Amino acid sequence: MSKLSTTGLTKAFSGLVAVNDVSFAMEEGEILGIIGPNGAGKTTFIHLVSGILMPSSGRIEFKGRDVTYLPAHERSRLGIARTYQLIHPLENLKVLENVMVGAVFSRGKSLREARLSAEGICDELGLGGLDRDTAQLSILEIKKMEIARALANEPEVLFLDEVMAGLNSDETKQMIETVRRIAGERRMAVGVVEHVMGVIRELTQRVIVLEAGELIAEGPYEKVSKDPRVIEAYLGGAA
Amino acid sequence: MVNKRKTTLVVALIAAAAVIILAWRPTVLIYGLQAAGLYASIAVPMGLILGIVHIVNLAHGEFLMVAAYATYLLCKSLGIDPYLALLPVTAVTAGLGFVVYKLTIRQTLKAPELNQLILTFGLGISMTQIANLLFTSQTRKLSFDYVSASIDIGELSFGVYNFVFLGAALLMVVGLRWYLTRTTAGKAAVAVGQNPRGAAIVGIDVDRTYGFVFAMATALVGMMGAMLITRSAVFPTVGSPYTMKSFCLVAMAGIGNIPGILGASILLGVSENLLKAFRGLRGWADIVFFVLIITVILGRSIRGKKA
Amino acid sequence: MKIRGAYIAAAVAAAIMIAFPAFLGAYPLNVARSVMTYMALAVSWDMLLRSGQISFGIAGLFGLGSYASILAVLRGGMDPLLSIAFAALVAGLVAFALGFAILRLRAMYFSITTLALMEIFRIIMHNLHDFSGGPEGVVLPEVIFGGDASALYWLCLGGLAVTIGASWYFERSKLRLALTAIRNDETSARSNGIDIFKYLLVAFVVTSTLQGMMGAIQVQSYGFTTPDTAFDANFTLLPLAMALLGGIHSTIGPMAGAVLLGIASEWLKLKIPYGHLVVYGVIIIIVILFMPNGLFGLARKAIRKAGGAGSPGSASNGSDAEEGAR
Repeated sequence: MSKLSTTGLTKAFSGLVAVNDVSFAMEEGEILGIIGPNGAGKTTFIHLVSGILMPSSGRIEFKGRDVTYLPAHERSRLGIARTYQLIHPLENLKVLENVMVGAVFSRGKSLREARLSAEGICDELGLGGLDRDTAQLSILEIKKMEIARALANEPEVLFLDEVMAGLNSDETKQMIETVRRIAGERRMAVGVVEHVMGVIRELTQRVIVLEAGELIAEGPYEKVSKDPRVIEAYLGGAA
Repeated sequence: MVNKRKTTLVVALIAAAAVIILAWRPTVLIYGLQAAGLYASIAVPMGLILGIVHIVNLAHGEFLMVAAYATYLLCKSLGIDPYLALLPVTAVTAGLGFVVYKLTIRQTLKAPELNQLILTFGLGISMTQIANLLFTSQTRKLSFDYVSASIDIGELSFGVYNFVFLGAALLMVVGLRWYLTRTTAGKAAVAVGQNPRGAAIVGIDVDRTYGFVFAMATALVGMMGAMLITRSAVFPTVGSPYTMKSFCLVAMAGIGNIPGILGASILLGVSENLLKAFRGLRGWADIVFFVLIITVILGRSIRGKKA
Repeated sequence: MKIRGAYIAAAVAAAIMIAFPAFLGAYPLNVARSVMTYMALAVSWDMLLRSGQISFGIAGLFGLGSYASILAVLRGGMDPLLSIAFAALVAGLVAFALGFAILRLRAMYFSITTLALMEIFRIIMHNLHDFSGGPEGVVLPEVIFGGDASALYWLCLGGLAVTIGASWYFERSKLRLALTAIRNDETSARSNGIDIFKYLLVAFVVTSTLQGMMGAIQVQSYGFTTPDTAFDANFTLLPLAMALLGGIHSTIGPMAGAVLLGIASEWLKLKIPYGHLVVYGVIIIIVILFMPNGLFGLARKAIRKAGGAGSPGSASNGSDAEEGAR
């Protein structure tokens, strides 16, 4: 059974169809790339599967269970976690407390248990200085903190929305390693949105391509990148 | 299409209600419209500030109070009519509004909304209490003969003076509409209201626009304060109820919809007078307003969620 | 070590507070009661503020509690002490019911609606002549505990203790994480398993219960109320100014603010009978413009500067170093 799947998922904002009839599935242990030109609907798609937005029509299943209209907080408890394209730190909480939030509310842990598990996850990601305010963190550290918070939810499906954006090439390399390691160890299904094709090529086993809200291609990156429709979509977007 | 049919239906319903009320108790409609004029003319300036500067001015009614006191003092000492005092008083409140904007509100524009709300709340309290210090809580009243002018139509007799407020409201709505759509400065103000950053990029001085709009709105409130003296006594908290009423009307109309404020005021004015027409319900008339505000705000929030 | 020190200090302060009637006269005890009432309201207002919701309706729930208590005694023959618990329950239940509607609202819409609700409560009490006594209000045949100044003081202190205890629990439990997360970023809160509505409802009901309880204690201590005294806007204004002055998003800030402003206002009331409240308005303005984190925020900043780079505070004691500049 797929970890997460959608059938005919559609979201329309007064007139504009941001996601149009998308059907896809993610399997355990897989890293899936989600690519497409700007405005293709990648972020909206993640908003839909994580419950931040409700779809106009279609169906979302998590391990065979219908979660189409389940509120976001309940989905995160089931095991769907995500990070955001724009950073979302909780600025009045310390770094460690930011991470603890995921463990406390999604997993129902006590503060003591949550502290331990959050410390473990931060350690695993190489994130130190957990007593700091979020305002003192570098951009790499904030991204790590947000990944750590998502991991504290102990998800089975994780979406990373442009976690590499704003990082330099060394940091990007480090982040690719991190994502690969955490995905492998936890047997999660990971969905990665990225604009840098090098990252996608290195990190993912399979990609789906969105254009104007529609899924136009699917398969290994090497194959998809030669698909004339995909090339057209990217060139058309650039022209 | 659906929307248009809905609008037609609503208009038809309102017209029917008006006819029924007119036939049953004409004074309800007449006094309702008069009250609506007063509400609208005080609420419109708040709508202007909310729509362009995006500040909920909880000291709105206090500017009205300051103008009322200024008018009272001027009329009392010089023995002139409030309508003569209107111009100088308007200038004074405009100046006061500008100074208050520059010294306080401007500093919190980038702060969280909480700070702005609490700041204007504090401004309102300070103004009321300064009035208390200067004038104590005693009510003061001036009386004028023309206020009691009335008309008899058959058996029906009613006061006509309060129609001046409806006139003021109409004038304000039409004037602002002209200003905001036809003049360069007005168009710039609208642009600032919709997108301050974009407006700044095309070279509009956002800060100056905010200051000007705030001063203009307080000037209009000042004008109404001067007119208020003709029909009501003045005391430190005379303006306070109007802050909430104004916010309610602006929220009902939808932020940025100035003509809508007039419609909302008519609904409120007529409903209140409808309750007052029943002897036993007179004391409950005030509640109409608060129930209305909560219903409207909740309705909007639910509809907003769905959209 | 640091925490133990704080516990000892709190215990000493509590012992002194309890012993006050032994060495204070009736007038100072009266002032102390007034300060404690405002302190409890300031702390409870802050508890909801930690979720980012500004209530302008403190006086509404306070007044509701007053009326629930006095009417339960007068019309239902309830025991006065029990009526305080009853009033707290009524305020909590009303908040629970209202919460389903108004906790969908945010920012100015929430604030204005709480203000409007207070007006509705007031108008209802104004107009239910036979039941609530109308504009003239209602009078109890006798004050609770026969008006004994010490007993009244301890009653009020008890109400305050319950409030501070609740606020302390809010700070030490996972409620703090939930409410802070909601205040900082609702989207992030939702995708980390926080049921926003549930936590807002908890905060709203608890704080309303506390405010209703303080209203009941007040009315039983004075033995009468009218719509204008029960729903006096000062019960909204003063706590708000106190919390802001001391420092919001904490328990200790509003408490300190209440002591300072409460005592100052007693003095000012004698000096300037009309308009002494101007001080509150001006304090609100000054705090918002120049010290948004209140006196405690200023103190913390000063300590941090004096302490230099090696900043104190540890992860195991998250609550007291919580508030950074926004």
